[in-house]
Amino acid sequence: MKLSREGWAGLATLVASLVLFVLTLDLKANPLVPIGPGFYPRIVLGLSAALAVLLVVFDLSRKSEPKAGPGANYPLVLLVFVVFGIYVGLMPGLGFRISTFLFVAALQSLLEPPKGVKGWIIVLATALITTLVTHILFERYLSVLLPRGRWTDF
Amino acid sequence: MYELLLSGIANVLQLKYLLPLAIGTLVGVVGGAMPGITNTMTVIMVLPFTFGLEPLQGLSVMIGVYVGGESGGLITSCLLGIPGKPSSVATMFDGFPMSQKGEPGRALWLGIWASFFGGLIGGVFLIGTTGPLASLALEFGPWEYFSLFVFALSMVAGLTGASITAGLLSGAIGLVITVLGNDPIFGAPRLTLGIAWLEGGIPFLPVLIGVFAFAQIMSDVERINRKGPLEGAARFIVPKLVVSHLKVIWEILSRPFLLLWTSIIGLFIGVLPAIGGSAANVMAYDQAKKFSRHPERFGTGTPEGIIAAEAANNANIGGSLVTIMAFGIPGDAVTAVMLGALTIHGIQPGPLFISQEKTLAYGIFAAYLIAHVLMLLILFIGVRWFLRVVLVPKAILFPVILVLCVVGAYALNNTIANVYVLLLCGVLGYAMVKGGLPLAPLILGVILGDQIEINLVRSIMTDADPWLFLTRPISGGLLAASAASMAAAFWQHRRAQKKSAVAAGAADF
Repeated sequence: MKLSREGWAGLATLVASLVLFVLTLDLKANPLVPIGPGFYPRIVLGLSAALAVLLVVFDLSRKSEPKAGPGANYPLVLLVFVVFGIYVGLMPGLGFRISTFLFVAALQSLLEPPKGVKGWIIVLATALITTLVTHILFERYLSVLLPRGRWTDF
Repeated sequence: MYELLLSGIANVLQLKYLLPLAIGTLVGVVGGAMPGITNTMTVIMVLPFTFGLEPLQGLSVMIGVYVGGESGGLITSCLLGIPGKPSSVATMFDGFPMSQKGEPGRALWLGIWASFFGGLIGGVFLIGTTGPLASLALEFGPWEYFSLFVFALSMVAGLTGASITAGLLSGAIGLVITVLGNDPIFGAPRLTLGIAWLEGGIPFLPVLIGVFAFAQIMSDVERINRKGPLEGAARFIVPKLVVSHLKVIWEILSRPFLLLWTSIIGLFIGVLPAIGGSAANVMAYDQAKKFSRHPERFGTGTPEGIIAAEAANNANIGGSLVTIMAFGIPGDAVTAVMLGALTIHGIQPGPLFISQEKTLAYGIFAAYLIAHVLMLLILFIGVRWFLRVVLVPKAILFPVILVLCVVGAYALNNTIANVYVLLLCGVLGYAMVKGGLPLAPLILGVILGDQIEINLVRSIMTDADPWLFLTRPISGGLLAASAASMAAAFWQHRRAQKKSAVAAGAADF
């Protein structure tokens, strides 16, 4: 008996639901009303835990093995998430403009490694244009103040 | 009503509304023509640009994107055999064979004109039914609202195509997201996990943007380094698209039953929460085939196939707009983003919307109608150019889309916490796709979660008798409908499983 991806998703949801359910037990009831802030979360978390159990049980009782899909480039997916995570993490320090320029250049290079000088020019030009256009458009014309960097003040 | 509609049309024809509507329609057509870029993605991309605009300007952009996107998808479906988006898949079944037979112009314009007429039928339904449905919803108390939202969630969970348990679990995860942060009735902090920025709760737009943008982009990233469908596009030569428009219009209007029936299917699918144009497109095609005297011609380039598929997916927009305007429940992901845009401007869609925000409501109706005319004009002028957009490399497109997602999430209330939510929900969305959990119920759960809690608590505070949920006629009817829809979905699922088991058994022998 082996869990499929759906079964693992159910198991992960079950663990998360139970942990959160336990945390709701600390929520104190409001003396003025019949139900407190923990009433609804307990219903919802109980429901998600029950459904997660059902999903795992159905998955285990399934006779046919799930078909394996075509090979996917998961390392690249992970790298894209990491690059995006670094972008988001650095934005408060570097500011929108510098971090966006670096992010666009890095992600483009990752998705399609530039070949030769022309390739690098395209990467840098796209990063620069994206950064400048979004900054000018949002800050000047749409009144959206994008983050300034704590370290760079830019 | 007609006076209000005419004044809405006159209002939207002003340059300050017409220009955003035209830009939105153009962006929608271009986005729709790009394989892999769905309407949801396009509307997410334009969302941050609407923050600084007036509500009607912002909504005009989004309606333009919606209408343009539904029509733009047919360009590559008919001419390249690559659906621009899921809601153009069935258009390809007959559009592409017709093009290959040497009639690309006829295939394309049959689709465009059918979209136009289907959209107009959707418009009639939208304008005619939103007010009466909103009046009906005004009679609702907290019991009825609670049951309505439960009904919407159960419908979505049963209709998403995955297993019913997976659909329901996805909706429950959406509800769980809404209980993190604070209690919507008393504002008491709860389940903040020690994270300061969670105390204000999680706004649904960063969740929606993160879940959909990453699920789609990462699904494409997975396929990099393998032969993709776009490789052939670079060798594509734009064909001659000259056609007699009167002849094409007559081809459509001489089949009034087909046009009307498939538009009604589109409308019905649109009214159902969170299942969009892709289901309408395929179901209408299937119905057209079943009702046809020559079903054997379907798939070989018959005009009926193109008309049915395209009329349905544009009529679908009208249905989706009805549910959001009358009940505040988004018909699909695009209208969910629109709902977010409205709430940013302090406007709450729902039963009171059409009576309290008349100018805006009739402005939306007018924008919807005018967007269809703009869509025709834009395609008439630029259809040859839009074919070239499929050549834009994804390596350039994806970073730009992600930057716009960041700006959209950040600009909601100028806080970096929303960007963290975007990232976390991006991971969650991708993990759910990989785990076989559908995304539509999750989003509906996030959108409706607070309202479900508020109405549940209000009803209990008004009268603690839980039987009222069943004994009040509308509330009881809605809960019975939820149970019926779940039972129907369960029965369909079992039947499909049995069929596949029989097929597998036959294959073994």
